[in-house]
Amino acid sequence: MTAISLEALEQSLALMEDAEIINRQTPDGLHFTFIYIGTIIDQERLNESIMEPLVRSFQSSVEKSLITAKITRLFNLEQALQDLLKGSVLVHDSSSGRWNAILLPNSLSRSIETSETETIMFGPKDSFSEQLEQNILLIRRRLPLTALKTERYTVGSLTQTTVVLMYIDGLINPEFVDYAKNKLSSIDFDMFLDSSHVAAFIEDHYHSIFPQYLQTDRPDSCAHSLGIGKLVIFVNNTPFALVAPITLFHLFQSPEDYINRWLVASFLRPLRYLSFLLSITLIPFYVALTTHHYQMLPLQILYVIIESRSKLPLSPFWEAFIILITLEIIKEASLRMPTKTSQNLGVIGGIVIGQAAVEAGFASKVLIVLAGISAISTFLVPNYLVTKSSLLLQFMFLIFASYLGIPGILLGLVGMLAHLNGLTSLNQPYLAPVSPFYWRDWVDLFVRGPLHAMSIRPDALRPLNKYRVSRRRK
Amino acid sequence: MTRFLRTTIVLLASFLMILPCGCVPLPENNMIEEITPIIFWSVKGGREDGKITISTLVPPLSKEKKRVLTLNVSLLNEGNKGFNLIYHNELKAGQIRLLFVDEAYAKRGLTSLINTVLTDPNISKRLFLVITKGNFDEFLAKHLDEKDSIDFYLYRMFKHYEKKKQGEITVVNLHQFMKMLYSQVSDPQLPVFRAEGEQLLYEGTALFDWDRMVAEIRGQDDQISQLLYRDRFVRYLVLPDLSVTLGHIRAHTRKKLTSDLSSLSIEIDVKGRIDELDSLTRIEDNFQYVALTQKIERYLEENVFHLLSQMQHLRIDPLQIGGLTIKPFSRPITRDTWDRHWSTMKINVKVRLHLEPLTKVK
Repeated sequence: MTAISLEALEQSLALMEDAEIINRQTPDGLHFTFIYIGTIIDQERLNESIMEPLVRSFQSSVEKSLITAKITRLFNLEQALQDLLKGSVLVHDSSSGRWNAILLPNSLSRSIETSETETIMFGPKDSFSEQLEQNILLIRRRLPLTALKTERYTVGSLTQTTVVLMYIDGLINPEFVDYAKNKLSSIDFDMFLDSSHVAAFIEDHYHSIFPQYLQTDRPDSCAHSLGIGKLVIFVNNTPFALVAPITLFHLFQSPEDYINRWLVASFLRPLRYLSFLLSITLIPFYVALTTHHYQMLPLQILYVIIESRSKLPLSPFWEAFIILITLEIIKEASLRMPTKTSQNLGVIGGIVIGQAAVEAGFASKVLIVLAGISAISTFLVPNYLVTKSSLLLQFMFLIFASYLGIPGILLGLVGMLAHLNGLTSLNQPYLAPVSPFYWRDWVDLFVRGPLHAMSIRPDALRPLNKYRVSRRRK
Repeated sequence: MTRFLRTTIVLLASFLMILPCGCVPLPENNMIEEITPIIFWSVKGGREDGKITISTLVPPLSKEKKRVLTLNVSLLNEGNKGFNLIYHNELKAGQIRLLFVDEAYAKRGLTSLINTVLTDPNISKRLFLVITKGNFDEFLAKHLDEKDSIDFYLYRMFKHYEKKKQGEITVVNLHQFMKMLYSQVSDPQLPVFRAEGEQLLYEGTALFDWDRMVAEIRGQDDQISQLLYRDRFVRYLVLPDLSVTLGHIRAHTRKKLTSDLSSLSIEIDVKGRIDELDSLTRIEDNFQYVALTQKIERYLEENVFHLLSQMQHLRIDPLQIGGLTIKPFSRPITRDTWDRHWSTMKINVKVRLHLEPLTKVK
């Protein structure tokens, strides 16, 4: 610990052009030194609420002059610098020799906007922003409970990022909280600019292509997760919170499932699973059938495929590979382009290039149709990270299909299932409630049962309080 | 090291899992643009040297100029191999859907041909078997135009009539033929087509004794046979002798054998409507309507009786009446026993006609 001195602070803040050191004198002859970083504090409030009252005051100390401000006494240089960088103004009272810190952070932030990554037609539209306090506020509004606990951690030697662990005490399984605390405490890295960076350090299997934390910017989704016995991790300066523990099946659930009528939601949810399967296996099946198993094609379809593939220069594998890569280039390009341009790009990429490829004899019509179906199927999965993962899986299945045909695809599926079965999220099985089997949780798994049937919190999460309804019976 | 061991075990287990399932880990190269998946064979017998003539149309399923490949061979697969030597693509039999067999060949027996097709693991059991008359190769030669996909259209025709048992033509696939062939108490039947110039005309149904074609039924008999065979639907039952056409016919047949196998009673409930009437009968008059119905019933009874008598005479059972002798916990009767009883069996036929007159009957 180093003692605070003006010289030491001046030395630390050397070559920081936004660092200010200002001296002011009161009518009583008291000298105050204000040290702050101009870009991260609210300068208007500094002038109106701190400097003005202080220099005009006839009181003998800072505490007495600024009775409404939250003042922290400083004792060492490290603490002073830390507070300074968090947006505090350091005030030195020359008469008493005391150093004080007054928190005046610049509240520059965007307003609460609609979620762009998890859009829904009906239901709450608000979403998290980059400001941590605002995000916590959105949850506290939804869950006004004293049992809603928040614990702060600071991670990143350079970024000094604040991470908040949130859970409902007395409801969540304490095992999860302890495990998450251990993970967060053991993080050792310099920069954390997004919640996915934190997730990379606290997830159990960082080599896997499947996310083990659900990233969401929807407060309603977080509140629901907290309410059923999960925990949420907020990271400062990012609108995406992390939800854990999750299973593979959570990645296919959308907040809209609970807004739609339960029968409609139960129809849509299996459609997402089917779409995911289609997105990873449809084109590999085409390659397997056209390369190895022509016998399996119905004659009517064989007729169409022979017609469309008769004069193509590329084998089914290379044809599919090139089309898929092209499709990914178009998708990536449309993501990076401005909105209006990306729409044109989609049209040019999807229709013009596809049509031109068929007419030029580089690709078959059948494959273009299948590639279109496959690409659209990926968008049905609500989780963006899974959408991206499905691309890699598709290529893996494509290679298996090309070499081994349909047994290859089955081998790939078995391998994928084995991998999923080995995954854990917050040390909890990733395929629960299928493996291990929790029959009661199936009411909200492949179908979304009526809310009345969900009177018990998921068994797989082993919550301390498992009933969602009052247990008093008349 | 542990990871290496684990990987080895997983790979070994995967391959062991695949191999016993009969899946070849490195399958054949069947790249669709490099092969020619033929969809029919036409087999003709009756040559003096005992050889068979096998033909097919290439390239199949495409809008290109076609040609007929024909070879005289001793064995079916010799022809299959021979085709590869005279055509630039490898001919694959995995999509073969139609097998046309010449009448002369069918009369000598189909067992060897059927067994060859049946034992080939690539060939599906849903292969339609057809008996042809006339010069089938000449018929094919008239359909070589690039716009003409006669092979595909023939397949579509059989597939259409197979679905929902349409009953216009007899449709039998390899699986059904085998089932009837190896049954102790029934005989197979197949459709018969005549190739005439550029037309392939449906003639009727060929009846088999074991694997040899012994008779053919046509026209009205064929339609009645189809009605009796598993309650098919027949769109039109034309009865020129009565100047009447019945439409949308569905029959429900109840067959009953006496325990000593001495007599068979058949009750047929025929539902349909009068589609065409070329006589002075006034069906809006109830009396005349009932008279016409009774007339049709008697006529159908006579025809069914006549058809069954023919079958008794030939000692064949394509309608699988012998299946009625099979009962749980009892020993199935032998072929000889059934033939002996069937040929002398007394037959009673009762037809009940339920007609929709499509007009007001007073």
